[in-house]
Amino acid sequence: MPKSRAGSATDRLHRIEVVTDAALAHLEVERLLEELLGRIRELLAADTATVLLLDASGEHLVTRASVGMEEAVRQGARVRIGEGFAGRIATSRQPAVLHHVDETTVVNPILWHRGIRSLAGVPLIADGQFLGVLHVGAVTARRFSDAELEFLGVAGDRVAMATRNRMTGTGHAAALSLQRTLLPGALPEIAGLDMAARYAPGDAGGVSGDWYDVFKLPSGWFCATIGDVVGRGLDAATVMARLRTAIRSYALDSADPAEVLTKLDRHIRHFEPNMMATVGYAMWEPSLGRMHLSLAGHLTPVMAPDNAPAQLPDVPVDPPVGAGLVPRPRRTTVLDVEPGTAVLFYTDGLIERRHRPLDEGLALLRDVVRSGPPEPLCSDVMLRLVGADPTDDDIALLAIRREPDTTTPELTLTLEAVPESLAEVRAALRRWLPTVGATDDDLDDLLVVIGEAGANVVEHAYGPGGGRFEVRLTASDRRVEGTVRDQGNWRSARGTNRGRGTQLMQQLSDELRIEHDDGGTTVYLCRNLGNRP
Amino acid sequence: MTVARVELRDENDPQSVEIAVTGEIDLSNADQVRNELYEAIANDLMQVSVNLTGVSYLDSSGLRVLFMLAERLQRLQTELAIVAPPGTPARRIVELAGFDAVATLRP
Repeated sequence: MPKSRAGSATDRLHRIEVVTDAALAHLEVERLLEELLGRIRELLAADTATVLLLDASGEHLVTRASVGMEEAVRQGARVRIGEGFAGRIATSRQPAVLHHVDETTVVNPILWHRGIRSLAGVPLIADGQFLGVLHVGAVTARRFSDAELEFLGVAGDRVAMATRNRMTGTGHAAALSLQRTLLPGALPEIAGLDMAARYAPGDAGGVSGDWYDVFKLPSGWFCATIGDVVGRGLDAATVMARLRTAIRSYALDSADPAEVLTKLDRHIRHFEPNMMATVGYAMWEPSLGRMHLSLAGHLTPVMAPDNAPAQLPDVPVDPPVGAGLVPRPRRTTVLDVEPGTAVLFYTDGLIERRHRPLDEGLALLRDVVRSGPPEPLCSDVMLRLVGADPTDDDIALLAIRREPDTTTPELTLTLEAVPESLAEVRAALRRWLPTVGATDDDLDDLLVVIGEAGANVVEHAYGPGGGRFEVRLTASDRRVEGTVRDQGNWRSARGTNRGRGTQLMQQLSDELRIEHDDGGTTVYLCRNLGNRP
Repeated sequence: MTVARVELRDENDPQSVEIAVTGEIDLSNADQVRNELYEAIANDLMQVSVNLTGVSYLDSSGLRVLFMLAERLQRLQTELAIVAPPGTPARRIVELAGFDAVATLRP
């Protein structure tokens, strides 16, 4: 029997601890394991040292690191719980020794191809949780002494602890990074709306499944979601990611928030059984004057009209989406959103404190919220409700404000030159033109003049790479004038029946000029209000 | 995408059909509206009327659909009428485009 080189058991342990210290803190779990396994193999004078960890299903052990048998890692060698040498250790949670390695005792053929004759293995358990198996192998027939087995057991505990810490750290980092990725980096620009958001992780450690999302639909509607997946950590963050995507998908096909949440409920029951989430989902009409809202167990948003106290609108709350409740019909409430009104969505972490009842938190929030520009509004709400208090739970906050009625008689829109932008131009014109004194007739006509100019850009200005165009209008003295401008190359219209657009533009405006130069095409238009040409 | 609905009305008369279009027609959905109109019109009809009362936006791409429809129906010797009461956005556009030369305009 080869004599192991190290002296006392204490010395050996010390050498393991050297490996687990802070110098290796930056290593990935696999690299850390390799370092540890190198030491263990050397101290036990073995030929191989290998770690298998439980996979996500909990049904298999997968070889995650090895010295002396690296091919097992590269081949992703795995063994079912209860089968083979490592699989039996997983079931018994007891150390085991094997002196006769062949296909009857070991499942993994790499072991006998490698010529392993003897194996000793221990379970990896940290805080009572089974993580995997550590084993060492020798190509000679060898008896492991009691002292060696005891050392292997202690080494296994160190390996388990280091693995658990590293995996928790990895899970935490992954969840945080997932959450950061999924929260919108920049909020979309919607003419007529201002918005701002905050996300603050709680002090309890780990992330939760809080999220917010804002997006436009091709129909010109604008949608906002706030939600909270019950649970914490990577699992909750992953489910949050899926629910966010599911809502976006259903939103494309439905103009009714209650229907979207009903579909989401079916989705989560089928694909994420045992998970549950609260969700608030709102859709703004293209005019921005009304918001359609459905609540699935989520807290009611605060609505703050311009220059008036904030209120919690009377919106019926339906059950959360997901497990445990019999599906019931969901409801949509339509709320008027006057110019200047701010709507604040939030997750419960904002108002729930251990020392304060929920109602008090809600009342405090309602008192704090005042309509105003969303960025300072969010900062103010966080300052007044969170301040320096430690918060257990994560907080997501989303403030959306309809701009107050414009006193500056100007409208500027910058849009992608794609057909879908035309509906957005019309929505913005329908909001803006009435505020500068346009009659219904003026509005109908200007929609076509500017719509045709936009359609020309979409069809003719750019190559397949696309581009943008800008609509800039000013109103003064019962006149609207302005430009529709692109940076493309002019190309004359193709196909039959194509000349009518320009003709319509001229018929419907009081002045119209189309100018092309190297910088692009500019359409100048002018229309006297209340006096149809 | 811009949304328009094309619906058949008055399906009992084997010789004529009224098709109601509602919503908006622009570059992004004109082809779809055209296809739905064509599908709604069988070749044994004598009369087709297209009701645009509920159309809140119509531009030259929508006009193109109507002119092409008029041309095809003329070839099929099927009569085409456009229903658009004065004051509606569609009425103004079809009038300005001289559509009354190829089809009947009805209030």
